[in-house]
Amino acid sequence: MVRLALLRLLQLLFTGWTIITLLFLLTRMLPDEQQLLARFADTLADATVSKQQIEAAQQAVRLRLGLAEPAFYLSYAPATDQQVLSARWHWNGSHNQYHQWLRTLLQGDLGRSYRTEEPVAELVGSALLVTVPLACLATLFITGLSVWLGLWLAPRPRVGWMLTGLYALDALPLFVVALLLLLLLANPDYLALFPTYGLGMEDEAGIGSILNQPAYVVLPLASLIVTGLAEPTLQLVASLRHEAQLDYILTARAKGLSQERALRRHALRNALLPTLTLFTELLPNLLAGAVVVELIFALPGLGRLLADAAAARDYPVLLGGVLVALVVRQLTLALADWLYQLADPRIRISSQ
Amino acid sequence: MRWPFPQNAVLGWGRRLAILWLTLLVLAASWSCFLPSQALAPDLLNSNEPPLTAGHWLGTDPNGQDVWTSLLYGGRTALLVSLPAAVLTTGLGTGIGLLAGYWGNKQLRFSLSYWVSIFCSIVSYALFTPQSNGITAAWWPFLLITLAVIAGKSLRHYSFFQHQVAVPLDRLVLAGISLLAALPRLLLVLAVASAFEPTLFSLVLLLTLTSWPQSARLVRAAVSRVQQLPYMEAAHSAGLSPWRIIRYHLLPNTWGPVLTTLPLSIAGLISLETTLSFLGVGLPPETPSWGRLLALSRLAPSSWWLLLFPGLCLLATTLSLRQILPISTQRNPA
Repeated sequence: MVRLALLRLLQLLFTGWTIITLLFLLTRMLPDEQQLLARFADTLADATVSKQQIEAAQQAVRLRLGLAEPAFYLSYAPATDQQVLSARWHWNGSHNQYHQWLRTLLQGDLGRSYRTEEPVAELVGSALLVTVPLACLATLFITGLSVWLGLWLAPRPRVGWMLTGLYALDALPLFVVALLLLLLLANPDYLALFPTYGLGMEDEAGIGSILNQPAYVVLPLASLIVTGLAEPTLQLVASLRHEAQLDYILTARAKGLSQERALRRHALRNALLPTLTLFTELLPNLLAGAVVVELIFALPGLGRLLADAAAARDYPVLLGGVLVALVVRQLTLALADWLYQLADPRIRISSQ
Repeated sequence: MRWPFPQNAVLGWGRRLAILWLTLLVLAASWSCFLPSQALAPDLLNSNEPPLTAGHWLGTDPNGQDVWTSLLYGGRTALLVSLPAAVLTTGLGTGIGLLAGYWGNKQLRFSLSYWVSIFCSIVSYALFTPQSNGITAAWWPFLLITLAVIAGKSLRHYSFFQHQVAVPLDRLVLAGISLLAALPRLLLVLAVASAFEPTLFSLVLLLTLTSWPQSARLVRAAVSRVQQLPYMEAAHSAGLSPWRIIRYHLLPNTWGPVLTTLPLSIAGLISLETTLSFLGVGLPPETPSWGRLLALSRLAPSSWWLLLFPGLCLLATTLSLRQILPISTQRNPA
């Protein structure tokens, strides 16, 4: 058992390392360097600067962004004319961006933002204070509501319209729902029930929990819940209805249990099994949803950090945020395995 | 007691409406190719006008572009991105799933001599480059391939090199799938798309390379189910070639579930594309897209028409794509 858990941990670490390495190399090698330099350089006001001055300024920006060294252990060496065959790669030793980045990463340092020079770890940390409560609340609400709604809908054949409604909600992308809510309920022209933007705490320097600002969280939370609710509920209803036709429910009913009790005590446990993956995937998917929702409602959370970083090509911040999402995803995958084992001991964990 | 629950609450006219809407969408998208090139030119006198303005009967956005024309072009963009991406995704996923399911971890075997010779030539190709570029540089890969074949054949005379070593194809595919599953798709695409300025082609490629696991998983499961059946054994014992078995015996019996998920995958790709455009990391800013139109509604919060019309288009399209499935497979837990 311990061996299996260790193997699993190794596998998770390897997956995480591979994907973050790939993303690091993509973001260091693909972007056009001149564009990146122009984006993050202080604009040269004087038009009559010499070529050397421009070079020097660009080199300074490169040093500041940490782009001066080669990106990886190997760099591509153009073919020379002297030999018939020449080495395709040039070995850079440990003086490369990847080596430095990985070393500082292992010390818990995520680097500095290209734009603001703030340490990424701090940015991500303060963003998590907003996102974690939001995502956890949404997860709790979605789980609770979908189980409750599923139990309520399953024995009622006449509520097809509600299923169709859920179905329609499932079809809408999250950002459309969020925009709709924003337009309808937080608009001075129509219904200004809720504050529109941000968390309303510019004056207080502290990063108080968003739980102190319930009014600002209602709409983001609602849009996450509304779009996230449909899929687990529909799955649960379908699998509850499937279970309800099996013989053990007949037995339970013959013992004299009420329909509801038979569903809740007997069918639900079996029906939850196929939907377990959906529930454990909620949290990482909500992190992805936070990208959209926090951008729309201007919440200073991880999603907004990611969206802004992606739009502004601020790669250290982007990688830091992605790393957090990666860790959360791997943890929930492990949690899903464990829950499956718990729910149905017949399922064996395979170490592949 | 059997509860006579209806499996789904979808009516017959739903599918008819869906087909009607999708036909209209395709017509509108192809019609937008014939619009004059100035159709999207901003009308600076009438910017941010409500619907039913003269000349702009669905209104204009804050940049003065006509909403109706933007919708048409946006529909074309959505189709141009999602259709090729969905077809390529399904094709790639089906191919990978078929190969992984058919050969598994042990079936695809080569003798050790070929492993050694191919490995050596790949390594030397990766390490060394010929001096000139262009067509004359082709002697180097040709030489390596010839050497690999000759070395492989001649090494086979030694008994040590006659061992058969299998390609762990299934394990490789599973590793690829778990690698892509390590991040939610939106985050993965967002991170990669921010590393370069996507064009239509590269966006389709990116979406394909990140979305194939779903259909690969379906096909792999279907193949492993079919492989137990007697007719597969008959095909094997008749000595059919792997290609023939895969093409004529496996494929027709496994692509059912994949074909039924094709509309769903189109719908998913459309909403992914609009979300990317909304976030500003999708197609270049001058490409009209429903997502971009929706993003504009944040600039003008009181312009409900910027939200309503593209939102309705998105909703109708994704709903129609789900509706045209046969009813029994609609909520197929993938």
